[in-house]
Amino acid sequence: MNDATTSVQAVRTEDVWKIYPQEPKPVEAVRGLDLEVDTGDFVAMAGPSGSGKTTVLNLLGGLTRPTRGRIWIGGQDTTAMSGRELARLRLEHIGFVFQAYNLLPVLTALENAEFTLLLRGMEPEERHRRVRHLFAEMGLEGLEDRRPGKLSGGQQQRVAVARAVVGEPALVLADEPTANLDSATSAALLDIMDHLNQEHGVTFVFSTHDPRVMERARRLIRLVDGRIENDERKNGSRGTP
Amino acid sequence: MRVQALFTLSARSVGRNMRRSILTAAAMALGLALLMFSRALADGGHEQWIESAVRLGTGHVAIQAPGYLETGRLEHRLDAGAVDRIEEVLASHGPELPVEAWAPRLTVNGLASSAASALPIRIEGVDPAGERTFSTLVDQLAEGRYLEPGDRLQAFVGTELARRLQLEPGDRMVITAQTAAGEVEGQLVRIAGTFHTGIQEMDEGLIHIPLATARSWLGAPGDLTTVAVLLDSSFDTEAAVAALARSLDGDRGIRVLGWRQASPEMDSAVRIDDYGDYIFHIILFAIIALAILNSVLMAVLGRRREFGILQALGLTGGETGLVVFGEGLFLTFASGLVGMGVGFALTWIFFRDGLDFSGFMENGMTASGGIIDPVIIPVFRFGQVVLSLASILIIGTLASLYPAYRASQLDVAEAMKFEQ
Repeated sequence: MNDATTSVQAVRTEDVWKIYPQEPKPVEAVRGLDLEVDTGDFVAMAGPSGSGKTTVLNLLGGLTRPTRGRIWIGGQDTTAMSGRELARLRLEHIGFVFQAYNLLPVLTALENAEFTLLLRGMEPEERHRRVRHLFAEMGLEGLEDRRPGKLSGGQQQRVAVARAVVGEPALVLADEPTANLDSATSAALLDIMDHLNQEHGVTFVFSTHDPRVMERARRLIRLVDGRIENDERKNGSRGTP
Repeated sequence: MRVQALFTLSARSVGRNMRRSILTAAAMALGLALLMFSRALADGGHEQWIESAVRLGTGHVAIQAPGYLETGRLEHRLDAGAVDRIEEVLASHGPELPVEAWAPRLTVNGLASSAASALPIRIEGVDPAGERTFSTLVDQLAEGRYLEPGDRLQAFVGTELARRLQLEPGDRMVITAQTAAGEVEGQLVRIAGTFHTGIQEMDEGLIHIPLATARSWLGAPGDLTTVAVLLDSSFDTEAAVAALARSLDGDRGIRVLGWRQASPEMDSAVRIDDYGDYIFHIILFAIIALAILNSVLMAVLGRRREFGILQALGLTGGETGLVVFGEGLFLTFASGLVGMGVGFALTWIFFRDGLDFSGFMENGMTASGGIIDPVIIPVFRFGQVVLSLASILIIGTLASLYPAYRASQLDVAEAMKFEQ
C-alpha cells in the first residue's frame, strides 16, 4: 500500500504476530494479522475468549509490541516508535474505552474527561467548553463534579467514552465496552458512540461478545485463534482472508 | 501544566486512601518527633555535661602559651605582655565573641605535705572574685569557705586531699613546686575550706590559692599559664576560637584552644555518646524508611491497573513513576512538617523545665571531668532541627524511588488485566 492510501486509513496492519514465550509451548495470541480500518469506520471484533481480541486492541493502541509485523495508526508506523513516541501517539491520536470503565478514582467526572486535554496542555476554558459540550450530548450534565464512585456503571462508561473522544482522536479502541452494562444502558451507550461516529466521524474498533454491538457495527470481524476468520461489512462481505 | 496534572494526581492519591496515609504519616511524624526530642535531650545533656566540665576546668576556650597543654610546665607560660593583650581583646570583644566570663589561672604541678603525708597535687593560682562567676567548684563547698579577695595564704582544697593529709579548715600545710627560676620552693598555706565534686582526681589532687600568692611564690609576676574563657554555649566554641585566634593573630606566644583540644578525654566521651545516638537515629531512620517504602510500594502494587490506564491515556513510564514519586514526596513532606511541630510541641510542653533522671542515677554522678546533672534540659539547635527534617525528607524521597521505578517499568497490557 502506498502513502496516499495509508493517509486515509485509521489503521493498517501487515502480518502482525504476537507470541508470548511460555513453557512448554509459546502462545501465539495473534497470528499474521492483516487489517485495514478506514477513517470513520465502526468496526466490531468478535470471537470466543482467547481468540486474541484484546491483544489486537493492545497492539493497535501501542500498549504492547508485536513480535513481528508492522502497524500503522493514522499513517504512522508505530512498530519502530520508542515508548515515549507511543505515549504521545496514544495521547494525541487514540482513545480507549475499557470494559471496567477505568476512570481515575481521584478525579471528578469532568477532570477524568478532560485529563488527556490537560496532558496536551490545552487551556482550562477550552477544555471545560469541550467537555461540557460532550457531557450535554451524552446526557452527563450535572455530573461534572462527581467522583467515579458516585456514578452508576452506565454513567461511568459514558464518562469513559467522553474521555476517549474529547481529544478528537483518529481512532477509538473499545474493549468490550458494554460487558458490564444492562441492556438499556448498553443501547444508550451504543447510540452515543454511533452518534459520535456518524456526526463527528470518529473511528471505532470494538472487541465484543455482545450481539447488540455486533448488530450495530457496520463492519464485523470474527477472530478465531488469533486469525481473522471472517470480515464482513453491512453492505456486503469483504471476504475471508 | 502537564507536571501540574501529575502532581494533582499524586496529591489526591495521598488523600484517597486516608487511613493508610494517616498511619504512614503518623509513623513518620512520630519518628521525627522522637528524633527531635532525643536530639534535643542529647544536646541538652551534653551541654550541661560540657558546661560542668569546662567550669571545673579550662573553659570552653583556653588561651595558653604553646607547649603548655603538652607539658604542663611553668616554662611554657603567658608572659605579662601576652596577658595584657589577651585581657584587652576579651574586654573589648564584640558580639562575635559571646563571652560569659573569663578567669586568669597560674597552674603548676607540685606536692602538698602535712605532718601525716605528702601527696602530688595540681596548684591553681586563681582570682577569687573572677572564679566565683566562673567555676562551679565554689558551689561544691564541703566545709569552711571559698577564697575571698584579699586572701593571701589561704587555700581551698578537695575533701579527699584534706582527709589523706589529715587536715581540716584552719589547719596549715606546705605546698611545694618548681618556680619560674627552676628552683623548688615551698609555700605555707592555711586551709580556708574544702570542696567535694565526686571527681576523684579533683577531690584528692586540686587546690586553689590566690593568684597574687602564686605569682609571688613562683616568681612569675603578671604571668599566667591559662586564661579560661566561658562562652554562652559550647556550640559557640569553634567560632569563638576562630575569632580569638584572629584577634590575637601574629602573636606566636599565644595559642587558642577549644575545649575539645584542651580536654581530649571529654571530647572523646561526648563523641562516643554521640555515636550511640547516631546508631539510634539510623535505626529510627530505617524504620521510617520502611514505613514509607511499604506504604508507597503497596499503593503501587495495588494500583497497577490504574497506572496502566494512565499510560494508556498517554503518560510515559517515567511520568507514571513521577506520579508515584510525588505521592511519596507529599506523604513525606506533610509528615515531616507535622512531625516537626509535634516534636517541638511535646518537648516544649512536657520537658521545657527539664527531664528528671534522678531516679535512675546516683547523686553526684561524674564522667570525664564533668558532674552530670540528673535534670536534663533539652536544647533545640536550629542546625539540628534542619538536619533532622532534611534527613527525614531525604529518607522519604529515597524510599519513594523504588516504588516509582516499579511503576515506571509496568507492562501496560499486563497491568490492564490486573483486578483492583
